[in-house]
Amino acid sequence: MIDLPAIRTHRLSKWYGRTEAVRELNLSVARNRITGFLGRNGAGKSSTIKMLLGMMRPTSGEGSVLGKKIDDPAQSVEVRKDVAYVSEDKRLYSYMTVEQLIRFTASFYPDWQSDVATSLLRKYELPPDRRVKALSKGMHAKLALLLAFARRPKLLILDEPSAGLDPVGVEQLLEGLVSLCGQGTTVFFSSHQIPEVERIADQVCMIEHGHLVADVSLDEIRQSWRQVDVVFPFEPANLQVTLDGVESVQTRGRQMSLCASGHTDEIVAWARGFEASAIDVAPLGLREVFLKKIGAER
Amino acid sequence: MMLWYKAWLETRSRFLISLFGILIICSGWVLHEDAIASPSQPANWYYFVLHKSHDTLVMLWVLAVSLLMMGGLLREGAVGASDFTLALPVSRARLTRARIGVGFLQAMTLAVIPSVVIFLLACATGKANSVENAAFHLLLLAVGGSVFVAWALLVSTLISGEYTAPAVCLGTVLVVAIAMGDKPLSAWSPLSLLGGEQYLNPNTMMLSGPVPWLRLAVTIMVAAALAWAAVKAVQMKEF
Amino acid sequence: MFFRLSPQSGLPLYLQLMQQIRHAAESGALRDGDQLPGIRTLAEELIVSPNTVAKAYSELEHEGLVELRQGSGAFISLNRRTRHVLDHMESARRRAAGLIDELRDEGLRDDEIRRVLEAELARQEGAKKR
Repeated sequence: MIDLPAIRTHRLSKWYGRTEAVRELNLSVARNRITGFLGRNGAGKSSTIKMLLGMMRPTSGEGSVLGKKIDDPAQSVEVRKDVAYVSEDKRLYSYMTVEQLIRFTASFYPDWQSDVATSLLRKYELPPDRRVKALSKGMHAKLALLLAFARRPKLLILDEPSAGLDPVGVEQLLEGLVSLCGQGTTVFFSSHQIPEVERIADQVCMIEHGHLVADVSLDEIRQSWRQVDVVFPFEPANLQVTLDGVESVQTRGRQMSLCASGHTDEIVAWARGFEASAIDVAPLGLREVFLKKIGAER
Repeated sequence: MMLWYKAWLETRSRFLISLFGILIICSGWVLHEDAIASPSQPANWYYFVLHKSHDTLVMLWVLAVSLLMMGGLLREGAVGASDFTLALPVSRARLTRARIGVGFLQAMTLAVIPSVVIFLLACATGKANSVENAAFHLLLLAVGGSVFVAWALLVSTLISGEYTAPAVCLGTVLVVAIAMGDKPLSAWSPLSLLGGEQYLNPNTMMLSGPVPWLRLAVTIMVAAALAWAAVKAVQMKEF
Repeated sequence: MFFRLSPQSGLPLYLQLMQQIRHAAESGALRDGDQLPGIRTLAEELIVSPNTVAKAYSELEHEGLVELRQGSGAFISLNRRTRHVLDHMESARRRAAGLIDELRDEGLRDDEIRRVLEAELARQEGAKKR
């Protein structure tokens, strides 16, 4: 059981009329890890998440969350007992007070931790008696996070959680995610803030045009992904590069810039073979890897 | 149940405004008509007064329940809170049932309290009154009105938009009122059932003849079918 | 203990953490038997995935520098081998100090010394690989 992925989709697709939002997506999110979900606007992140939670029906394909099928309404209710979700716009019931909303939410979940809720309420400086309507945007976002963090869900799904948060709020968010993961919660979150993902994620899934283009661990990116800049004694424009691990090649005059997902040593040796006058190897950050992966798809 | 609590909080202010609005206007009617009613209709003038105030109550009641039943997931979708509701570990049928339950209770309260107040007020003005007649009016309103509650619910699950949904709902009611306002169609109009004129003695406005149980039963069934359709519509909907 | 992890560096975070714990033990900031922070506590403090901390601890346990005790946490454990390495490091440090003094006397600036040492290390590493 423990090795079953928390989220798994098989050729999951979603059409809106004639536009395809999610295209044969095969996603697998491991348990007890923090997985970032990256993609440009409209790449299909929110549609995927909404299908996982049973808010939308897949047009074709299938998926399971915590071993339960996502397109069966009865199983979907079971899924939602174990899943906490923070939506992108984090809107809540404007007619309730903060305290009413907390009591309301608590009643649905046996895993509710009222002591955690109380301490987060203080930490996030939320006024219990204030109506949600009258909260600032940042407070709104914090309240939405509190409602997810005061539980011990098996899986936490967040859609752009840092949107609307100030830098302090972002730190509190990341701390909350790390803390929940430390208690056995699987975290799956979409984000445009690559530095945040880079700090806390174990794994990243990248999606473009509704299709998975990369599923890679950050350790692997740090360990293996390199940018190799070579200066040749000639113009290498016609040089064919057919080396393992090379993801992309750019040439400008006598310079060539290679992006590699591994086999750096072989690439350096290959460049030496052409008597390159300078070879620079630098690590690649998640941002570069993301842009390369998305760029390759377009 | 917390879902009932939520539905109550969501509609509380609308409900209280409706209740007090109806009470004030209907009481005003009774007292005003009582003061100016012509003594040339000595035998039944207070029934005339009471019937008029019941007609007012019916009109306001239909307006109030139509507005009260607005809300739910589509409206939340329009303001962005539906994601939160849909992530709760409850089925959509249960969400809708809570709305139906609270809406029904509120509609009944809006029927019972004003009817009782009108009755007591009429008694307090010193005129004799008929319990049977008042009960008949209440029965027509509560049972015959269920179809309007259900219709408003169905509209709210089909049409989103904070203002389009109530506009469509009241618009259709208005169309029915106009199109079925004259004979022979008026005998079958759901609105005329609420007024109950066809079952009253036109001279005394007293109940004459048997209570139309069959028609009331059919009305309830139509209302149940509309509510069922609303539950299904919410289940099918994608957010 | 203070640890600083750099997400942008080309070294996995767990390796960075291992290096820093090792360094702390070598420099005496952490002594034999000292308790390391809990996995969750350290993850929250550094704001990194708890899996990063867990992996660093378990790798260090593999190396013998850390002892994981069920239920009570992670402790620095300087056994004979690690102590031996530490002694070596200490004598190496003294020899490096001597060399640096010599090079300075010969008029090299500190950044030049650093470049010479790093370049030589890199050259030897490259030679080893081939």
